[in-house]
Amino acid sequence: MRHNVSPFRKTLLYIFLFIGVIVSVFPFYWMFVGATNPSGEIFKVPPNFLPGDYGWENFKNLNENVGIVRVLGNSLFITLTFTVLSAIVCTAAGYAFAKFQFKGRNAIFFMLLVAIMIPYHVTLIPLFEIFSNVNWLNTFQAVILPQVAYPFAIFLMRQNMQAIPDSLLEAARVDGAGEFHIFFRIVLPVMRPALAAVAIFLFMFQWNNFIWPLVVLQSQDMYTLPVALSSLVGMSRIDYGQVMMGTTLSTLPIMIFFLLLQKQFISGILGGSVKE
Amino acid sequence: MKKWLSIFLLVGLVAGVLSACSGNGGGETSGENGESGGEPSGEITVWGWNVAAESMELAVDGFKEQYPDVEVKVEDIGRLDVYEKLTVGLASGGNGLPDVVLVESDRLANYQEQFPDALTNLSEMGYDKHEDKFGEYKLSVTQNSDGDFFAAPWDIGPTGVFYRTDIFEEAGVNPEDIKTWDDYIEAGKTIKEKTGTNMVPVDIAKDDALYRMMLNQQGAYYYDEEGNIDVTSEESKKAFEVIKQLNNEELILNNDGWNGVVSATVNGEVATVPFGVWYTGTIMDQAPDQSGQWGVFQLPAFEEGGNRAANLGGSDLVIPSSSDNKNTAYAFVEYFTTEVDPQMKALEEKGIFPSLNSTYEEDFFNQESEFFSNQKIFKLFADEVSDIPVANYTSDYSRAFDTMSDTQASILLDGKDIETALQDAAEKLKSETDRKISE
Repeated sequence: MRHNVSPFRKTLLYIFLFIGVIVSVFPFYWMFVGATNPSGEIFKVPPNFLPGDYGWENFKNLNENVGIVRVLGNSLFITLTFTVLSAIVCTAAGYAFAKFQFKGRNAIFFMLLVAIMIPYHVTLIPLFEIFSNVNWLNTFQAVILPQVAYPFAIFLMRQNMQAIPDSLLEAARVDGAGEFHIFFRIVLPVMRPALAAVAIFLFMFQWNNFIWPLVVLQSQDMYTLPVALSSLVGMSRIDYGQVMMGTTLSTLPIMIFFLLLQKQFISGILGGSVKE
Repeated sequence: MKKWLSIFLLVGLVAGVLSACSGNGGGETSGENGESGGEPSGEITVWGWNVAAESMELAVDGFKEQYPDVEVKVEDIGRLDVYEKLTVGLASGGNGLPDVVLVESDRLANYQEQFPDALTNLSEMGYDKHEDKFGEYKLSVTQNSDGDFFAAPWDIGPTGVFYRTDIFEEAGVNPEDIKTWDDYIEAGKTIKEKTGTNMVPVDIAKDDALYRMMLNQQGAYYYDEEGNIDVTSEESKKAFEVIKQLNNEELILNNDGWNGVVSATVNGEVATVPFGVWYTGTIMDQAPDQSGQWGVFQLPAFEEGGNRAANLGGSDLVIPSSSDNKNTAYAFVEYFTTEVDPQMKALEEKGIFPSLNSTYEEDFFNQESEFFSNQKIFKLFADEVSDIPVANYTSDYSRAFDTMSDTQASILLDGKDIETALQDAAEKLKSETDRKISE
């Protein structure tokens, strides 16, 4: 395949890729430019394409307005706790659905699939009432807990777990390994790429989660990043410099998290243990 | 197994639909206790957004001077986010709601009709004595059909046409000659010809603000006084005829969203922007270097000598029935809406225009605004307030808003005939709302 590419096609390919890069990177660059300039600059014609020196000022205003440092801390705590908890629960559930025979397994699994289709509006009010009844409004656990068993993540893990050959698990059992031992020492290592994908997915879901935290968190010092940023957008006056600074800050953790987990994709592929 | 799957899907869907429908049920309220008379004390929480929340923050000190034992916690929440939280809270019987909530005037009727018992009757707490302090328009949105206050009137959005003095000068157009919408279109043609600038920014597919101002100006709205669908009225046709003509003469700049309108404003892509008084703050914030290049005149009338006053925007305060400190909540609402001092702070520092009539006698309204070419713009808006016609927003305001924005797009972008488009819009609203179409 590689030696077939003619110089002409190669150039074409590079031009195409270059345009793709510009199109996908430019919004981020523009966001960065906006974050380092005063609000009025953003709408100027001709536009100013260079980063300014107003970044610190925007950050200070943003911190004064919504307490961005505290909010970032809240978001990180909620998202990381959620990701770890949910990854454990969903992996275990996926494993059970894929590799254990029990009564009603398929029925439960189909109910799970149905759950994916329920729009959040439907569960919003009952869920709110539940948390209000146990007096958990305005707490971190109220944001973290409802989605820990995340149907789509369970589904994803189950599909991946099915690829593990039963013979591998049986061999382990014959050798006297306990079920927990099998799960942690045999299943999880093979599942690293899938786990990484699910973790990124869960992280992004909770990091961007808006409507539920908005409804359940009551005071400003408990807000997560999307909720705090949303409060910057009022009726007629919006300080775009602050908004851009906020969005810049909100994209960084996702990038870092993705880069950290990226390695797992590759090492997971190399970690095959069975040939059939 | 396929059969199982489809049965489950069906059950899931039905359950989903059912629970969506029953969401508005529970209007059960708690916490009737704790409102025995006496001095207001204790802590209350207030929800508002952006500059409005900041205005409430400004009022806290003055309030505490009158009632030393109170604490007021103002939560600054996004405007649409307030509605999301308020709806969920009201639907779940008042759980997790604060003591005071800011709501825009055109959304009030929605909450009042959907959750009739969930908002405190302010008249029963004594608000009636302030009735003569507000104009007819504001009373019409804050009182229910029995004439009782369910909300306290706060800010109002008298409209005006913001215009670029330098562009008008370059084109040789005198804004004082623009008395009717026909004059406005003629002026627009001249300006376009001489300077190449468009006359007015409109977010054609998503916002019908210009149409709403024109309806209100003529004393009409989406619905008539009885709540019947009224978009096929003479007034509605006239409004769209003007808008269509503006479009035919290529005087409209089609913008995408609020940001588009703001950016067109500050970049001099449009010579005028008809909006509510609150747009003064936006212009001053986003185009600080255009001081002295702006002016304001009232909306043009539909016929010589016709009404030029209308309202766009404005908000009011409600006290959810679930509040367990209604006494203090009421004291705050009363202070914040009927004392002159907090009104003036909100106006001078945050650009929020009061509806309390007695404020208009303050010196501030006679000051010349340097940014607006030394015009007494606040006097202009204040004089307008008493002429604003009453509008019946009803609980189906947002449906009509969506429908009419679509209708505006079909008339301007697809060239649909006005009469047919309005008839279709009325039919659509009829099927969505179960309301009758006004004859």
